[in-house]
Amino acid sequence: MLYVKNLHKSYRTGNKSFPVLKGINLSVADREFVAVMGPSGSGKSTLLNCISCYIPFEEGSISLGGQTLKGMDEKALAKVRNEKLGFVFQDFMLLDGLTVRENILLPRIIQEKVEQDAEELADSLLSLFGIAHIADKYPADISGGEKQRTAVARSLINKPLLILADEPTGNLDSKSSRTVIESFEEARKSLGASIFMVTHDSFAASFCDRVILLKDGMVYDTLEAEPGHREDGRGAFWDRLLKAIREMNDEDSTQCGPGGIKPPTAMKGGKM
Amino acid sequence: MMTLKNLERKLLKADAKQARLYLFCHFVSLLLITAYSAMMYSPTVLTVFPEGGDSRKQMTAIFVLALFGCVVFTIYASGLFFRNKARQLGTLMALGISRRRLLPGLLCEVLFLSSVSGLAGILAGFPFLWLLWNSFRLFITDSSQMALRLDFKCLYLSALFFVIVVFCSCQNAWRYLRRTDVMDIMHEEHRNEPVKAVGPWCGPVGILLVFTGAVLGYKAPGLYQKAFSAYSPAWLEALLYMPAFPGLYMIMLHTVVHGWHSRKKHPYKNLIAKSMMKFQGKQTVNNLLVIAVLIAGGAFGIFYLPTLSIGRTMEINSRPYDYYYHYRQDQKIPGKEEISALAKKYGISLRDFQSVPYISLAMDGITRIEDEDNSFHLERIPFLKEARCLSADDFAAVSGEKIHVEKGCYMAVSNSDETGLYFLNATAETFTNMVTFETLSTRFSGYVHYDFLADRMGYYVLNDEDYRNISSGLTPDFMGRAAFFNIDGEDSYEFAQDFFYTLVDSFGPECETTDYYDRAQKYYARLQGEVYWVDTDSSTKISFSRPDESDFRLYWQYMPKIRILDKEDFSKTFSVFLMMFLFIAIICSLAAMVICYTRCMTIALNNRYVFDDLKRLGAPPAFLRKEIRGQAGPVFKIPAAVGMTLIYLLYILIMVGNDGKLTYSEIASLSGCFFILAALAAIYYLVYRYTVKSMCRNLEILQTF
Repeated sequence: MLYVKNLHKSYRTGNKSFPVLKGINLSVADREFVAVMGPSGSGKSTLLNCISCYIPFEEGSISLGGQTLKGMDEKALAKVRNEKLGFVFQDFMLLDGLTVRENILLPRIIQEKVEQDAEELADSLLSLFGIAHIADKYPADISGGEKQRTAVARSLINKPLLILADEPTGNLDSKSSRTVIESFEEARKSLGASIFMVTHDSFAASFCDRVILLKDGMVYDTLEAEPGHREDGRGAFWDRLLKAIREMNDEDSTQCGPGGIKPPTAMKGGKM
Repeated sequence: MMTLKNLERKLLKADAKQARLYLFCHFVSLLLITAYSAMMYSPTVLTVFPEGGDSRKQMTAIFVLALFGCVVFTIYASGLFFRNKARQLGTLMALGISRRRLLPGLLCEVLFLSSVSGLAGILAGFPFLWLLWNSFRLFITDSSQMALRLDFKCLYLSALFFVIVVFCSCQNAWRYLRRTDVMDIMHEEHRNEPVKAVGPWCGPVGILLVFTGAVLGYKAPGLYQKAFSAYSPAWLEALLYMPAFPGLYMIMLHTVVHGWHSRKKHPYKNLIAKSMMKFQGKQTVNNLLVIAVLIAGGAFGIFYLPTLSIGRTMEINSRPYDYYYHYRQDQKIPGKEEISALAKKYGISLRDFQSVPYISLAMDGITRIEDEDNSFHLERIPFLKEARCLSADDFAAVSGEKIHVEKGCYMAVSNSDETGLYFLNATAETFTNMVTFETLSTRFSGYVHYDFLADRMGYYVLNDEDYRNISSGLTPDFMGRAAFFNIDGEDSYEFAQDFFYTLVDSFGPECETTDYYDRAQKYYARLQGEVYWVDTDSSTKISFSRPDESDFRLYWQYMPKIRILDKEDFSKTFSVFLMMFLFIAIICSLAAMVICYTRCMTIALNNRYVFDDLKRLGAPPAFLRKEIRGQAGPVFKIPAAVGMTLIYLLYILIMVGNDGKLTYSEIASLSGCFFILAALAAIYYLVYRYTVKSMCRNLEILQTF
């Protein structure tokens, strides 16, 4: 459903050009839950921003549901963002002046299509993610976990082809992180959503079907979870994931600074 | 059903808190500009401030500075508003709303906010002006001339300002939306604005540029005139002043980037405050620049007060006689007996009474004739001006100084500082009797000093024999008397007033003239077939029916010098001048203080997370307060120090530039200006203290000082 081919992106500072993505190739299938991990500066967020059409890229192609995203005009890009993509950000990006319910309905409001079905879907999402009791509250009055679940609900209101999540658990404690990841799980199970998540959190990534490891703007490794791993084998997948991360960090020990992904020492179930 | 319009309306409501600063800045700037322009166009001011005079030029120049300051801080406030709004805009764009769809709503919001605050500011400008002006009248000084009259043409300026600001705000809105990178917009709120790294040369070069600009701009017109016999074009003067502005910017930049103290000894002192300042430097430098310019403008306005009052007081105190008046001999003016009788009514008596005759002659001389294209040439004019001439003996009788004027020569009476020489004619070769048209060949033989007789019309001293010869045949209207007397004991204001009104009533309508009125020039104009300009120019008219108006007291050709009256009525006579410049100073200072306060509160808001982190790291309230002072201090202190110092130096330059030296009264005026600056600095300090308290309150830092 999502195909990224030979993606190149660089940033310019003055006359100097710094390549960030150096020919990325990846894909996400329908109903798949994929995570991207990598040390700081590996290009995770840039990759996500390119797929989200937030920033332009120089070379390569991205196609979503058979539609090529490069070269689209602003109106068409806005339509793609609104109808085919759902977004979940690290710092929630809820509008402070709107209630939880209104925030969830925001993509529909933008479409000018807040009809009965949208209202019903919003209510069912509120129930699905356990936030119905705060529907009329404002973001300032709710917890971080509730904010992020609101954001997940908002990302689903238009039944998008793909949910793009940028460090969705980055600002949350372990309990809230878990409820957010469970929300994604629920979204996939109940609504058939596909999810592409950038994260530093190996625990959150262990819930995915596939984890792509990025290093220096290139795909370093891809780990696939065994079928049914969530029910009985998630721990094994997490161990594999941690091992792969350790190898990646060991390979270039000089890169294992504060920005690198460190092997966890915490108990399973805790946030790294 | 919730539509995009409803959503925008709801967000607009929710944004009210964010928009508060923008609304406040827009409101204040329009209030200040409306009040200032209303005063500038007010007939109250325009009838008193002479057309083309320095006071009008100063008023306009400071208005331009205030306008510049207000435009900058309003645009800055709109920038802050969009910065805070960027997250909302970014989120909406990320969720699939296009720029084109966002733009109308955003522009409507800007227009709505600008219109509401702008109209409120314009409407509030008039009551604000009324309140301030009438407070002056109530608490400081009042005169019939101070009655506030308004000309609503001033609204054109407010409207122009409004349009500029709204246009810039809309452009700002478009600038934010136009960015290709949505992430940029979303993270705008957290973006720092570091200043470019500059070397330590920046500050010294800035100081050099400021001085170069000030000296070049001030001196160049004179040099240009000498070199090209033409007035320098206005653009050239503006161009030569220009280096002062980048210079000022560089001084501010150096202050923010390096500071003026060596950090080698204490490299960690105020490190946090300095680094925070550096990372918000771009806007801080712009703000400091505007504040410095406004403070300088305000100080320049208020300097008018000590300069005028100290100079005038010193002149009045130094007079050798309590009373002096002069008149044409065709007028029936009270003599010594009548004045003594009048004084008796008030229980006082006269002493040292004396009067001397003078004659009015036409004198030729060289003057500057303006040609087209800004150039001029020097030309001898046969009837250059009317001169009041004394004989050497009579001058000695009045001044007590025996002087010798050779036959065929004349001397001009100047003050001892020789500061008003441009009013005197030192190039005459011929005196002409305006009745018989007999002439007397003459030659200038120097200045004789007697402050009391030095005025704009000028007195000249002739050889006694020449005086007698040229007087022959003069009719009483070309002959006059100057009389002087003292009061024995303490003078009476009531007597002085009675004497003044009696004197005014004694003159006939032919003497209802200003000191511009010159019978020699009028004769020459008629000879040339021209209409004499004073006869047609309304600005030269005064009326016997309004002897207390400043125009009358400043410009009447026969205005007596009465010590007690001039002293007591000083503030009334100059009330409009004094209060207008006080008003200007208040407007500029108020604008500067609002910007200082706004900037400091913005710094507090933007750096809340830094203070929260410092709290978490265990920083005690005293440390946090020190850091806050480290942020607010430079915003207040640097522009105040730079603005006040530069304007003070410029003022000294102007005073020295007038006549190449500093006179005693100028030194006294400069001392007065210095004390006023100290008082202004104290007011800024109080506002600074209040601002620091507000910042602490905002950041929830314990406020124990």
